Formats: sequence, C-alpha cells, structure tokens
Amino acid sequence: MIRTIDVIHYAYKQAPWRIQRQWISAFLLVVLGLSMIAALYLDVTARAALTGRDIQNLSANIIAIQQSNADLETNIAMLTSYDAMEKRALAMNYQPAQSNQVQFIVVPGYIAPQPASLISAPSLQPSAPTIRPEYTQSLLDWFDQRLHTPVSISMMGVSQ
Amino acid sequence: MREQYAWRSLALAGVLAFVGLSIILQIVHIQTSPEAAIFREQAAQYAETIQTFYPERGEIYDRDGHLLAGNKTVYEIGVNLKSVKDEHAIALAVGVELGLNPDNLYSLMANPPGNLTYLILANYVDADKALALQQLKINADLQAAAGEQSSLSGLEFTPHPQRTYPEGALASNVIGFVSHEGRGYFGIEEKYNDLLAGAPIQVKVPVDPNQAADIPQVPNGTTLILTLNRDLQAATEQILDDSLTKYGAQGGTIVIMDPRNGEILAMASTPRMDLNQFWNYASIYHNASEYNLAVSTPYEPGSVLKILTMAGALDNNTVTPATTFLDTGSILIGGVTIMNWNNQAWGLQDMEGCIQNSLNVCMAWVSSQMGAQSFYEYMNRFGLGHPTSIDLADEAAGRLKTPGDTDWSPSDLGTNAFGQGVATTPIQIMMAASAIANNGRMVTPHVLYAMVRNGRQFNVPAQYAGSPISVHTAQTMNQMLATSIKNEASLASVPNYSIAGKTGTAQIPIEGGYDPVKTNASFIGWGPTDDPRFMIYVWLESPSASIWGSETAAPVFAQVAQKTILMLNIPPDKIREQIAAQH
Repeated sequence: MIRTIDVIHYAYKQAPWRIQRQWISAFLLVVLGLSMIAALYLDVTARAALTGRDIQNLSANIIAIQQSNADLETNIAMLTSYDAMEKRALAMNYQPAQSNQVQFIVVPGYIAPQPASLISAPSLQPSAPTIRPEYTQSLLDWFDQRLHTPVSISMMGVSQ
Repeated sequence: MREQYAWRSLALAGVLAFVGLSIILQIVHIQTSPEAAIFREQAAQYAETIQTFYPERGEIYDRDGHLLAGNKTVYEIGVNLKSVKDEHAIALAVGVELGLNPDNLYSLMANPPGNLTYLILANYVDADKALALQQLKINADLQAAAGEQSSLSGLEFTPHPQRTYPEGALASNVIGFVSHEGRGYFGIEEKYNDLLAGAPIQVKVPVDPNQAADIPQVPNGTTLILTLNRDLQAATEQILDDSLTKYGAQGGTIVIMDPRNGEILAMASTPRMDLNQFWNYASIYHNASEYNLAVSTPYEPGSVLKILTMAGALDNNTVTPATTFLDTGSILIGGVTIMNWNNQAWGLQDMEGCIQNSLNVCMAWVSSQMGAQSFYEYMNRFGLGHPTSIDLADEAAGRLKTPGDTDWSPSDLGTNAFGQGVATTPIQIMMAASAIANNGRMVTPHVLYAMVRNGRQFNVPAQYAGSPISVHTAQTMNQMLATSIKNEASLASVPNYSIAGKTGTAQIPIEGGYDPVKTNASFIGWGPTDDPRFMIYVWLESPSASIWGSETAAPVFAQVAQKTILMLNIPPDKIREQIAAQH
C-alpha cells in the first residue's frame, strides 16, 4: 500500500530539470529586471548630468553676453560722447546756435521732451525655478508626486 | 555523466557566488572602514567650491539717457607656473604685446614670491591687447606637436568688468570715480556706492552638474539716472574754463539748478580730471574739499547774501521796499565801523536802492534793526550753517556764528548781513535763494532723477526744505531783484528775458584779517522771474582782470543763462505772454 502511494507521488512530482529551469528563469528574470532599472537609472542620471552641464555653460554664456553688451554700450557711448559729436558736427560745418539766430514758434499740441525712461520690456530672469522638475526629481519623488496629485477632471457645460 | 556535469556546474556556481559575495563584502568593508570617512571628507571638500559673485556695478546716465559711467571688460593676465614650459617665450610675448619689460617678467616667473603657483603678470589690460595676446597663444598651441605643451602654455586670461567713463572728464566733479578695488570715491559714485555696487553674494557652488540649479543669480547694481543735462554740463564747463582764462581767476564753479524742484542741471567746477585715469587724483587735488567747490568748499560769499538779509527783514516787517535810509558812508556796529564797497556815502536810499547799489552800510543797518535773534533765526531758516542734504559726497556745512558761540561778536551782526564773517557753499546759497524764486518754498537740491532696478524705474520726487519766508515776501523780493538788474543795466542782463539776481564781491579772509588785494567774485540769478526755470550761481576765485563780481561773475552768468535758455528751449518773455494769452 505504501509503495503504491510512493509510486503515485513520484508519478505526479515535476522532473528535476524542470524545477532547475524554473529557478534559472526566475533568477534571470530578476537579473533582467534589475538590469533594466539600472539602465534606466543610468540613462536618467546621464541626461540629468548633461543637462546640468548645459545649464552651467548657458549661465557662463549669459555672463559673457552681459559683459559683451556692456562693452558694446560703452563703445556706443564713446562714439556718441559730447566731444565726439561736437567734432563731427564741426566737421560737417555746423555751428552752435546763438540766441539771435533762434526763433520760437507756437506749435499747437507740442510736448516738450521728457527726461529719459530706461525701462524696456520686462525680461525673463533665469533662475532655478525655471528648470523642469523632470531634471531634478528622483524616480521615488515622481511616484510620490503621481500618487498624491489629485486627478483633475475638466467639466464642459452644455447649454441649450 | 549527467551527474558529473551537475557537480561541475554547482562548483562553478559556487566559485562565482563566492567571488560575487567577496566583492559585495569588500564593498561593504570599504564603505564602513575608517579610511572611508576620510575619503568622504575629502570628497565633500571637492564637491563644492566657495565663490563670491560680484554683481555688475550699476550704470549712470544723464537725464536724456546718455551714458556717463558704464562697465567694460578688461583682462587679468597671469601664468599657472605648474603648466609653464618656456618662461622666456611668455615673458617676451607678454612684454611685447603689453609694453612691459620682458626681463622683469622673466625674473618674476623664475623667482616667484613664496610658494605661489599662479602669478599675475598684468591686470586691467584692455580687451584688444589681451585678445591679441590670446591669439598668439592659440597660434602657439596649434603649432605645438601633438601631445606636447606649447611655448605659451600656462598663460591664462581672466576677464572681469572695469568702470569706464565714456565722457572722460565731463561732470567728473559730480560723478566721482571707482577705484580698482570697486569702491566709489566722491560725488555720486561715493554717495550711492551701496546702491550701485549691489550686494556681493558668497555661495558654495556644487561641482556636480546635477546641482547646477543651485547656482545663484546675482542681481546687478542699481542703475541711476541723474538730473544733469550732458550738453548743458559740457557748455557750462566750457564757459567756466574760458572765464578763468578771460578773468584770470584761480578757480571757480558754476551751478545751474531748476528752482522749482531742486534738480541740478549742470554743476561745473575746477579743476576736473579724466575719470578713466583716476590715479591722477593726488597730483590734481591737494585735499578732498577741492574736488567739488560747489558743495565741499565753504567761502565768504559777500553781497549775494544780502538777498537773504533783505528777505528776512521784509518778512518780519522790519522794512518795506519803500523804507528809506540815509547812507552816510559808514555805520558802527559792535564797535566796528562798516563802510560801503567804494567807501562813499550814497545819501537817502530806499531798500531797492540799497540792494541795487549793494550798500554794506544800509544792510548792516537793516540787520541791526532786525536784531540778532530775528536775523539769525532767518539765516537758520534759510539753512545757513547746515548741509543742504544734496545727494553728493563730502558736502560741507559752512559756518554761521550765532550769539552764544564763543567766537561770535556783536559786529558779526553787521558784517554777516552783507556776507562777510559767514562761510557758505554755493549750493547753500542756491537752496536759500530758491525760497525767493519759488514763492517762499525752499527746495532741496538733488542730482538723482531716478533709479532703475529689476526692470522698474523709480523717479525721485522733489523734496522741499520748508518755507522760510511768505509768498508775498518772496514775490516782493523777486521783483526788487529783477528791477535792480534792469535799472543798473547789469552785465548779467539777458535780452528779451526778465532776470532777477545779485552780484557779490567778497574779501578773502587770511591769517589776522582780510587779503588786501584778492576777492571772490560771485553772482546768483534766476529767470524768467515770473516762472523761473533756471537758477545759476557763479563763483570765480580771485579774478585778476577785475576784483568786482559785477564785472566778472555777472557777464559769466549772462553767458550761461543764454546757453541755458537755448538748451532748455525757454521762449522770450513776449512769446510766453502770447502763449499765456492764447490760453
């Protein structure tokens, strides 16, 4: 009776090579998963590093361009300085006007020149908040954000 | 056979597992070993560098947007001694391009002071010279054999901003200058140094590019717009320089102010210097007060101060324009005999005559009639003896002795009335006189028109310094001074324009008395009298052509006034009346 039970047990037990293959497959699956995560991590990290380096280069470029602008502005100011303009005017046979050479005419609607206003269109100030979160947050941060961000549903009303 | 392979596989797996486990154990061991903490500490040191970010110094513009002070890029040229291959080549290249002695450069590199690894060979080098030298280095690098250092390796170029003044010496006495260390001296540069310079920020900058977002953005210094009119400033300086030559004066100053709001339109003073060569300061000026005579040098102004005495006396009803005084040529005040400028008696005079003929005796009588308490109260109200609070560095307060001071004597009441024995700066007299020109309201003179920061412009409102006299007194005094200029056919007159003003000829105090020969010639005036747009102060130091202000300072005033009228587009009185009639 006991022998009969053993025979039945072995008859239904998986073959050892099959168990071995299952273990190897499971192990390879884990290795593959870890490799994929590692590859993803490396890819994201490398891209973040490259972007970071780009930001540093762009910051340096901004400083260089600002210096260049200041140089150009100074050059323009030197070319249009009082002395330079006076020399150019005299070279073109202009003369300083005298009181008796000036005539005042009433011009309706004339508005006298106002002092300078140096305000230009507001420019974007490059700063840390302009860097997208994709470049700064970790995978865990991203998961956390996705889990805690409330789902927004847009409602479109229909009127009749 | 199958069992044999199984054993081999197991053995191989065991070995690999052992190796793997050993590696993991070693990793854990390294991470937790005592040396790991040292390595981590070293890594932390190199993970970030401490850098100081200096904001770009704010620019300075005139009221029409002309740049008066800006920034340009200059270079520091140095050598990294660890990378140097050929000192001779570097010394020769730098010496030739920058005009320096190659032998000195070579000996500096060959014998560096201390254990320095980086040497500065030249600083504040103009961009064109530095870039020419940089091109030489690039060429040398290209010619060098692959994998070898070039003859100019080790040469390094570091750009940085430097203050520059496109107009050179123009308005130098107002603007001031910035030293190589970045500190402002004199004028606007010193007064607004903190605003212009901005706040330097010292931060830890991470080496890790992932942390690039932490690099701070340093806001630049505030840009300033001045009330100065560049073209009027240049014309005023030209007139001042010509006047010194014409009248043989030792120095002088001319200030133009809008009496309605205290805006300084031009402020010329001698001597001036090219601000791009500020290191010449010590050879041009003997002391700081010479930098801007208009605000830093008090002097006895003489008869220009009579307008304040008369305004005070009219305001407290001591006199009226019709009050008469019999001028006998002298008056005794506090034991001191006071004489007129020509030592003559002028007979019966009304107050208009006293002002028009600039009679010391009459003015001393007026102040004595007011009494010391009332007289000095008015002088205090006019701001004498106190700084005006003009926004320029090194303003002097002047000196007004008052009863109770140890060096005050009763005779001062008489002499102060005509501007002797009292020390004021030109800007103080202008502020005081603005009350007369501006219907009793005194303005605080200022040079700053607006500030620009973060894309916003903040205009500076006019500041008023009280009302020392009533509207009626101001209008009466204004009329008296205009009539005075008209009646005496003064050299200060400007055709087709009504001008109010007063000359001043003052003796110069020396040790033990007054200089018997030299005088200070002054004139203060404004116009048009019914709607003053400009107030001009002229001070010529010790003119040799004539000692009298009426013959030196007055015509200079007229010249400046004509130029001002042209540049500010002020129509003649008749045209203005026509315009007013149309409205």
